[in-house]
Amino acid sequence: MLPFLARRLIVAVLVALAVSAVAFGLMFVSGDPAVVLAGQAGRAQDVELIRQAYGLDRPIVIQFFSWLGKALRGDFGTSLYFNLPVASIVGERLPVTLLLGSAAFLLAMIVSVPLGIVASLKPGGALDRAALLLAVLGQAIPSFWLGLILIVVFGVWYGLVPISGTETWQGYILPVIVLSYYAMPALMRLTRAGMIDVLGADYIRTARAKGLARLRILLVHALRNAVLPLVSLAAVQFGMMLSGSIVIESVFAINGLGRLAWESLLRSDLPVVQAIILILSLIYVTLTTVADLINAWLDPRLRSA
Amino acid sequence: MTTLELDTHILQRRKLWRRVGRSAGIRIGGGLLVLIAFIALFAPLLAPHDPIAQDLTRRLLPPFWQMGTDPSHWLGTDHLGRDYLSRLIYGARVSLGIGLGVTLCAGLIGTMLGLLAGYFGGKTDMLISFIITTRLSLPIVLVALAAVALGGASLQTLAIVLSLLLWDRFAVVVRSATQGLRNREFVQATVSFGASSLHVMLRGILPNLRNTLIVVATLEVANVILLEAALSFLGLGARPPTPSWGLMIAEGREQILFDPWLIALPGSALCLLILAVNLLGDGVRDALDATTS
Amino acid sequence: MIRFRIAALAGAIAFASLGLSAPPAQAGKADDTLNAAFALEPEALDTYKIAGREGLILARHIYDGLLYKDLDSGEIKPALAKAWRFVDPTTMEFDLREGVVFHNGAKFTADDVVYTLNTVLDPNYGTRFRIAVDWIEKVEKVSDFQVRIKMAKPFAGAVEMLADALPIYPAAYFKEVGSAGMAAKPVGTGPYKLTEMTPGIRYAFERFDGHYAGSPKGKPAIGKIVVRTIPELNTQFAELLAGKLDWSWRIPPDQAARLASRIQIVNGPIMRIAYVGLAVNAKGKDYPTKNLLVRRAINHAVNREAIVKAFAGGASQVLNAACNPKQFGCAQDVATYAYDPAKAKALLTEAGFANGVDIEMVFAAMPRPVAEAVASDLAKVGIRVTLNEQQYAAGVQKWRAGELPAFFTNWGSYGTGDVAFIISNFFGGGADDLVQDKEVIDLVTVADTAQDRTLRQENYAKALKKIADQAYWLPMYDFNINYGLSSSLVFKPHPDEFARWWLSSWK
Repeated sequence: MLPFLARRLIVAVLVALAVSAVAFGLMFVSGDPAVVLAGQAGRAQDVELIRQAYGLDRPIVIQFFSWLGKALRGDFGTSLYFNLPVASIVGERLPVTLLLGSAAFLLAMIVSVPLGIVASLKPGGALDRAALLLAVLGQAIPSFWLGLILIVVFGVWYGLVPISGTETWQGYILPVIVLSYYAMPALMRLTRAGMIDVLGADYIRTARAKGLARLRILLVHALRNAVLPLVSLAAVQFGMMLSGSIVIESVFAINGLGRLAWESLLRSDLPVVQAIILILSLIYVTLTTVADLINAWLDPRLRSA
Repeated sequence: MTTLELDTHILQRRKLWRRVGRSAGIRIGGGLLVLIAFIALFAPLLAPHDPIAQDLTRRLLPPFWQMGTDPSHWLGTDHLGRDYLSRLIYGARVSLGIGLGVTLCAGLIGTMLGLLAGYFGGKTDMLISFIITTRLSLPIVLVALAAVALGGASLQTLAIVLSLLLWDRFAVVVRSATQGLRNREFVQATVSFGASSLHVMLRGILPNLRNTLIVVATLEVANVILLEAALSFLGLGARPPTPSWGLMIAEGREQILFDPWLIALPGSALCLLILAVNLLGDGVRDALDATTS
Repeated sequence: MIRFRIAALAGAIAFASLGLSAPPAQAGKADDTLNAAFALEPEALDTYKIAGREGLILARHIYDGLLYKDLDSGEIKPALAKAWRFVDPTTMEFDLREGVVFHNGAKFTADDVVYTLNTVLDPNYGTRFRIAVDWIEKVEKVSDFQVRIKMAKPFAGAVEMLADALPIYPAAYFKEVGSAGMAAKPVGTGPYKLTEMTPGIRYAFERFDGHYAGSPKGKPAIGKIVVRTIPELNTQFAELLAGKLDWSWRIPPDQAARLASRIQIVNGPIMRIAYVGLAVNAKGKDYPTKNLLVRRAINHAVNREAIVKAFAGGASQVLNAACNPKQFGCAQDVATYAYDPAKAKALLTEAGFANGVDIEMVFAAMPRPVAEAVASDLAKVGIRVTLNEQQYAAGVQKWRAGELPAFFTNWGSYGTGDVAFIISNFFGGGADDLVQDKEVIDLVTVADTAQDRTLRQENYAKALKKIADQAYWLPMYDFNINYGLSSSLVFKPHPDEFARWWLSSWK
């Protein structure tokens, strides 16, 4: 276990480094931060001065290592756009996104896994068809459409929930639903497919033949083996939810990480983008590690790996 | 191959085709897909208008079920006065091509990486997990922005970027499924017979991943089409005035509160395409399952 | 499946009539709070480092300048300076107002003016727009309530710039905390003070009761302002309809027309204009736009009337001169190009492009449909446009590097009613000038620095005539803005795109 974790830690550090470097390079390819900062009324001389003032005239490699050096000491620099410490800006938005993402993930799992199991019991049956239809609809309805419909119906018509913002917990209801519904089809279908595979396998038949209780077979033996790919996918989906959704955060005027990342990208706010990408890579490394650990626990044969 | 083997082979194939013919999912899904492909192929003959011809005096005409329609544009016109039906018809080309093409490419990359990581484990797994996590941490938009800055916006650039980026789910799912399969008796048996790793992966493991792959692929088609929309809307994909369903949804977004049909129509088309892919995928999988067991 | 489609359509129809049942709301009148929303995030509230309109609007509520321009009457009024004069052509003298206090209680004196301006003059400070301060050489204290500005060069826009664009910070505080401190906790003399801020997300203001008597901004009628960022316009509409919002802006004409029956829509023209820049002298590149006939063909090919009617709406009109008609010096007796596709085709043929011509056009900060409409019109006469959307920064960079034959974007002239702030930038020989017409450059340079208004007017007129005659631009239209207001709010729009909430009140 310990060597496994140690190896994972090395991977985590390497990933963070690689991602930061690649992102740094991509940022420079996609737009000159100085020109962006100068804004629409900026003239060439303004751009030149900004370039010098922010040290953007140095070679990219040097800029990267200077950024990295500071980041290692916990100094993520100052946002070019807000002229405030990156840590405070990201710190302001991270909790919102974490809360939203976690709640949405929980909801998605609570709905989709049982639905997938029920659907798998009788492939082609009425329940299965209904579940699949829901999945298809879920995939094809654009999130922003659903978000706006919900806002108009429950916010404007009935006034049950706030239209936008997350000042109160009620403000989270709609965004959590919209964020989770998008992940549900994938999770549901994968549960279903995995269960169908496993239920047809020999050892389940053996278990059945042995007369084990149906529910016990289902939950202990079948589910345990069916969820291996599901756990991995769930980790990815969870990561995506934690990294925030630009669309959902825009529609519900939620000030989370996703929109901050997006806006910062567009305004070439390099320090903010770099900090967010670092956080993202850490989140993903953690989640994939946890997923692997869970899988190893579920399937002892994997432990020898 | 002995005669007996050959016979069972042929027999199996016949059985498969019979199942394919009988499966409602395949018939409906396949039929829909053929229909959409047909529409895409013969768009110039089917479309009543030029899909890119603008008429600023006839903007946002409502579709036939609303008041004040124009009989020559029975699904209305968009914000530039372009015939919506014609754009929907032509849009099938882009959405179908991008959705299936990118999923195929990304699926190949992801499946290969996932198989290698799951089968070999150890250093290979570490390297590939590293690539997967790196890819997941990189925002797609950032990569697309950079790619467009380098190569200019076009559908080709977009298709390449998406193919190179969207393999993550395939890789993640295939990797863990392979890990689970590798230690199963039948795989271990093949290995002990001295089969090459490649043979074990392709013959022993891959066929067993079929269900998972079909599921991920059908999910990915929708994902790709919606992403194409989002990126095209940001000026990082299909160059205007190319009609694509995704782009139409994105363009209708601004009007959503007052003219929701602008999104409902391409949304329904998209829904149909995804439904077709899903039904076909499920049907094929069921048919294959029934034949092999 | 068919059943589903019908259901979806029915849903869509039902949805089309949505949002209509919301009662006309009072929004913030009840608790004397003006709830405003921006789609874009305001920047750090140090005026000198703000490029975006949103941040500048907030800043003007917090800070005051030496002078103030009353846009309704057009006159320059005393603000923190109660009187001012030119001692010589490059020296301005200001008598400062006594008894003014900052939000933190500090008393306003000459030291504040001297320290603030001298600090932001320093290129190392990182002031966003050099043009705003580079005309000042230094600021000197004469007495506790008198200062002199030594100008680096004669600058016709000096007075305009001093009118609220160059705010005065409290010297002691500013010295202590610097630009970042001002951004984190702004302190000014303005009519409102910032009480709460989540940067980029939410800003709460309260009327500053110590705001100096005799201020040209006056004592605000509304006690509190809360400004939030709501990026999605449709969400803003929903909030307006539900009575959660009192003020929002930049509502597209199509939606404004639909909203007008349910909320208050106010429309106002602004200084900003849309134009297509055509590269003539593009760092050695030989684009078709180098050819006068091609440029004229482009001007004849685009049906600007139809585009304005469809996408700009309101008070917008087609432009002929390369400036906003509301600006001083924007002569209107210039060559005009009527919509005439046949003539455009003929001109192209004459130019040797009988089989059409291919050009790339980047558009930035312009609504996409407008760019598509322009491209479609051009295609009709044989000018095949490769249309690329880019961020403004990326686009303008390509333009300056001479990599674009055509650049479609807009220009706001810093909200200033003087053509100096537009044609000097694009035709004065600077980085944005890809025409480099010596004659125009000379005319503009003289006009920019002259004090004599008639001379300036004449020179600008000559320059604009040449620009139109040579079709260096495809001038498109001037913008207007739709504001969505709650029924109880009184709000007057101004052409410089600055919301003045201190002038607002409840009905």
